[in-house]
Amino acid sequence: MNSERMVVHGAAALLLVVVLFPALWMLQLSFRAGGDIFDLSFVFTPTLDNYRVLWTGLFPGSFGNSVVVSLAATALSLLFGVPAAYALSRCRFKARRSIALWILATRMAPPVAFTIPFFLAYRFLGLIDSLAGLVVIYLTFNLALVVWLMRNFFDGVPRALEEAAWIDGCGVWSGFRLIALPLAAPGLAATGVLCFILSWNDFFYALILTRTKAMTAPVAIVNFMQYEGWEWGKIAAGGTLVMLPVVVFSTLVRRYLVGGLTAGGVKE
Amino acid sequence: MATQPASIERAARPARLPRAAVPGWRREQQRSFALGLIPALLVLAAITLGPTIYLVVTSLTPLDPVHPHSATDFSDPAGNYRALIADMRFLNSLWVQMKLSAATVAAQLAIGLGVALLLNAGSRFLEAVRTAFILPMVLPPIVVAVVWKVIFTPDVSPVHRMLAAIGLPVHSLIADPAMALWAIAVADTWEWFPFTMLMALAALQMIPGEPIDAARIDGAGRLALFRYILFPYLRPTLVVAGLFRLIDSIKAFPLIYVLTNGGPGTATEVTNYYAFVESFNFSYWGYGSAIATLMVAGVLLLSWIIGHLGQGAERDE
Repeated sequence: MNSERMVVHGAAALLLVVVLFPALWMLQLSFRAGGDIFDLSFVFTPTLDNYRVLWTGLFPGSFGNSVVVSLAATALSLLFGVPAAYALSRCRFKARRSIALWILATRMAPPVAFTIPFFLAYRFLGLIDSLAGLVVIYLTFNLALVVWLMRNFFDGVPRALEEAAWIDGCGVWSGFRLIALPLAAPGLAATGVLCFILSWNDFFYALILTRTKAMTAPVAIVNFMQYEGWEWGKIAAGGTLVMLPVVVFSTLVRRYLVGGLTAGGVKE
Repeated sequence: MATQPASIERAARPARLPRAAVPGWRREQQRSFALGLIPALLVLAAITLGPTIYLVVTSLTPLDPVHPHSATDFSDPAGNYRALIADMRFLNSLWVQMKLSAATVAAQLAIGLGVALLLNAGSRFLEAVRTAFILPMVLPPIVVAVVWKVIFTPDVSPVHRMLAAIGLPVHSLIADPAMALWAIAVADTWEWFPFTMLMALAALQMIPGEPIDAARIDGAGRLALFRYILFPYLRPTLVVAGLFRLIDSIKAFPLIYVLTNGGPGTATEVTNYYAFVESFNFSYWGYGSAIATLMVAGVLLLSWIIGHLGQGAERDE
């Protein structure tokens, strides 16, 4: 039995190396000097040159755009989504099931279907290449996710506490603010982080709806490839920087991440 | 939404609490809940339902930037759809999509299930490995695309270098019309096998221990155990996971955009990519909307199947 355990652990370790290898290769590429890029050996003198070049160009602006848009989209979707999730959790609406299906449908919808009407509307409204335009379209996937996840977290908070508060004369929404929300705080944090990651990861919407002013970091990386020739070190450094917040955040909320990533798939 | 007030009334909890006995309080409570729900529903309707309707309407027009007034030209509402049936590039995109979806869903189910079975034991190390394996699916898709662009570009690829070193030089897969789609399938499988793995792990952990113990006592081997005990328990979850991946595979974009740009020729141009090209490279918004409308219809059909399967499972319980 013990030897079986060792075989399983050995196989898992090997698999881990194989699976993470492509990502690690990009990581080490970002620390190589220009001349070293095409060298296969693992021994090289690490340098921060690629990052320095990146930081003196237009990349910080795009990175800042990504931060602002992701934070704003997260805040807005929590603002609208959390009260709705609470209402859905506490009040047994008959429409509950159809709302759940609607939310599932927005998660399934192909982005291109939203992009064409949004693009046409934004052209008319002058919102092309604006941060506000991106924030609004990010609500299409974030809001549904917030309602879906937070409803589950609120379902996990016992109603009895709020009922006691209601008897003592507490209104529905002060009960929500004083009791349910603090108890669901870890869930709220996890949901917020997930919204941030999803907004941060978006490439498609930003590619179509931004030009230069509101360009986000993922689009900036692609521009390195298409317009600035193949500077692999710079591309790898950009990729690493874009990957960094996601890796940090998903480590922070890894316990809740699984539920969020498989939302709608696994029955709670 | 018109049925809501009545349904709230019907579903209200029995009046057990002193305050709830007061009709005014109950009505106030319902109003409060509706107040929390309605803004989100309005926003959701405005940003999802509205655009979808607009998309379908646009698909009935020949709208493009050269003829801005064609936004309301409904003289030939079926025109785009008629053109689509005869559009070889569209039909090719459906075929490419089918090949890519079939390959990636099958590979992700097989690998995800295999890895889940390997990592299902309860040890700290395996738990850490499980967490690390989630990385590919949380990475920004554009980073995944960059990572694989490096792997598939002979100049900088460690894999190409190693193959060349042992005397097996392989030409660039993403530049080869016959191989490019499979190269994308490999990258896509790497990105999304963690999803099927997570689903399979969740299902594995819900399997009761008794039937497994009983089968072991009866002398069932590893294979028989999987075939007759584990697999029947896992099957519904795997079907749902497969359908989720199938739906997501219809939306594949960043990998194709960065690795092959739909090429060589149209070898990797899936339907989603073709809709993008028609709408945003050629600006045939009406035509692109028609393609997107068909995609939405397909996705809704698949979602309906998932919902239906879920219901069936609930009834069985």
